[in-house]
Amino acid sequence: MATKVIMCPKCKNKVTVQVDPGEKTYITCPKCNTKGAFTFPLAKPAAKTTYGPFAIEVEGLTKSFNGFKAVDNVSFKVSKGEIFGFLGPNGAGKTTTIKSILDLIHANSGEIKIKGLDIRNNGKEAKKYVGYLPERVAFYDNLTALQNLYFYAEMKNASKEECKSLIKEFGLGDSMNKKAGKFSKGMLQRLGMARAVLGNPSILILDEPSGGLDPRGVVLIRDKILEMKNKGSAVFISSHILSEIQAVCDRVGIINHGVIVAKDTVFHLRKKLNLKPKLTIELEDMTDKVVKSVKKVEGVDDVQVINKIINVVCESKIRAKVIIAIASAGGNIINLHTTEPSLEEVFMKFTEA
Amino acid sequence: MMMDTIYCVAKKEIMDNVRNKWIIILTIIFAILTLVTSYYGSLYSTGWQDLGGTINGMMSLVQFLVPIIALILGYAAIIGEVERGSMNALLSQPITRLEILLGKFFGLGSILAFTIFIGFGVAGIVIAVNVPDVNFINYLIFVGSTIIIGLVFLSISLFFSTVFKKRTTAIGGAIFLWFLFNMILPMIFVGILLTQIDIQAIAAGAEATIPSWFHVVDLINPISVYQTFNTLSIGADIQPTFRTSSLALNRIFSYHLRIKNIQCKHCEVSLTSPK
Repeated sequence: MATKVIMCPKCKNKVTVQVDPGEKTYITCPKCNTKGAFTFPLAKPAAKTTYGPFAIEVEGLTKSFNGFKAVDNVSFKVSKGEIFGFLGPNGAGKTTTIKSILDLIHANSGEIKIKGLDIRNNGKEAKKYVGYLPERVAFYDNLTALQNLYFYAEMKNASKEECKSLIKEFGLGDSMNKKAGKFSKGMLQRLGMARAVLGNPSILILDEPSGGLDPRGVVLIRDKILEMKNKGSAVFISSHILSEIQAVCDRVGIINHGVIVAKDTVFHLRKKLNLKPKLTIELEDMTDKVVKSVKKVEGVDDVQVINKIINVVCESKIRAKVIIAIASAGGNIINLHTTEPSLEEVFMKFTEA
Repeated sequence: MMMDTIYCVAKKEIMDNVRNKWIIILTIIFAILTLVTSYYGSLYSTGWQDLGGTINGMMSLVQFLVPIIALILGYAAIIGEVERGSMNALLSQPITRLEILLGKFFGLGSILAFTIFIGFGVAGIVIAVNVPDVNFINYLIFVGSTIIIGLVFLSISLFFSTVFKKRTTAIGGAIFLWFLFNMILPMIFVGILLTQIDIQAIAAGAEATIPSWFHVVDLINPISVYQTFNTLSIGADIQPTFRTSSLALNRIFSYHLRIKNIQCKHCEVSLTSPK
């Protein structure tokens, strides 16, 4: 409901009405009894959803395998300089979506544009702007790491010097003349990332970028992703590792059973689900009185007690009241901290069976 | 379509395959065998032959070995990359599917041509030293036609590699094809021909009359095309008395011999070929 002031067309009297945006509202002027109806337009999308030139546009993408709809009517847009996280449980359709974006598999229906270029009709041109890290990174085993990169560099018009510096950047300087067949999973992943960023693509599509990586590798790749973003590249990351997404992504899309169930910033998703932060308080001594008085505080959603620690789920503005309640009930607070609801909770909520 | 992307894939394919140990082994075997056959010329001679006889002998070796090399080179070219996972990365590059296919064909084709050159080069040198008055144009025609038959089999194996969903099915298809063109089809055609001609009369000295449709139908087998081409273009030149009708007989009895190991007067006549 929204409050709106309108002017009576006949007597110019100002009338204040409660309206539902998008719904037809009937009003009667209290002064001259003129009856009228009007529809208050829906609120325009907030500025945050109007992104600049889109790097990736996917509209109504559908792909079935033997009648099974792996991806069903998926639509999203990723703009320049944005990191878009694509989340979903195993088998939700993440990789199918990515493969369709790159036209590695042909979608049944839907429109996919890379920098405004249709992937089906203009694929070769469009792919010049794309760096891709596949879910399963593979190279030509008989060729060395450097020879492998040279091959891709030649197609992307990147220099040999760039190949060498990228290999060094991803910590493979000592093995650049080793055959790719002798590489471990983590080394392949690093080399795959080097391949993806070769030639400074303006669109980076990463399918599970931290698979098989050690923590140092994860940080290395995360830094590279942020570096690419700052250069103005659009980054599309698919993952089920939420901390990875939460750390870098501007927006996330959550896909479940081939359907996008949520698409927004992490902050807004949290808000939408009404997830509240958690206040963890450690007491010198836990008494029933304390617990009871906390539960009594208005606005407290949930209270859990583990030994001398009490977890209170509430809005941040209630926190002071909770603390006062504990103190007045005789509790001695030793330590306290708050935890914001994680993406994990958001994810679990959206992908519930 | 861009030549540079095709060239790029072809180059990678060559670099990737020169270390393929199967290809190295087959090249060595091929070189040794061409050397041996160039000496023996045909099944029925010991010692140096004229070029026609030598080519005749080498042909029966080449028609077995060259298709095998081509099939081994090609069967995994596409499906191998799909199974290994490198195809996704390749397709994400600015390249069309046709360019990938052509790049692979030219790259693998170059390796195949190189292998054939090595084998025939060694043999050619030995022949040039030992056989007087060698017509090298004819020899080059023979080498060229061998490369073409190799490319034919390479195309077929690339086709298998593209349509089959598994590497194992692709190699199975390739092996079946090799048997089909080298064994099964020739056997069927000998069977058909034996019902059409009068062996007794030919043995008594009559001219063999082979129905003309037979020549046409036989050409569905690329190996038949290869043999017929070489016998006509090279054999006809050096064996003026040995013309088309007897050419078919020559081939038929040489199949016969290979398959059933039957010896007859005609086999000997045709295989050693008149000097």
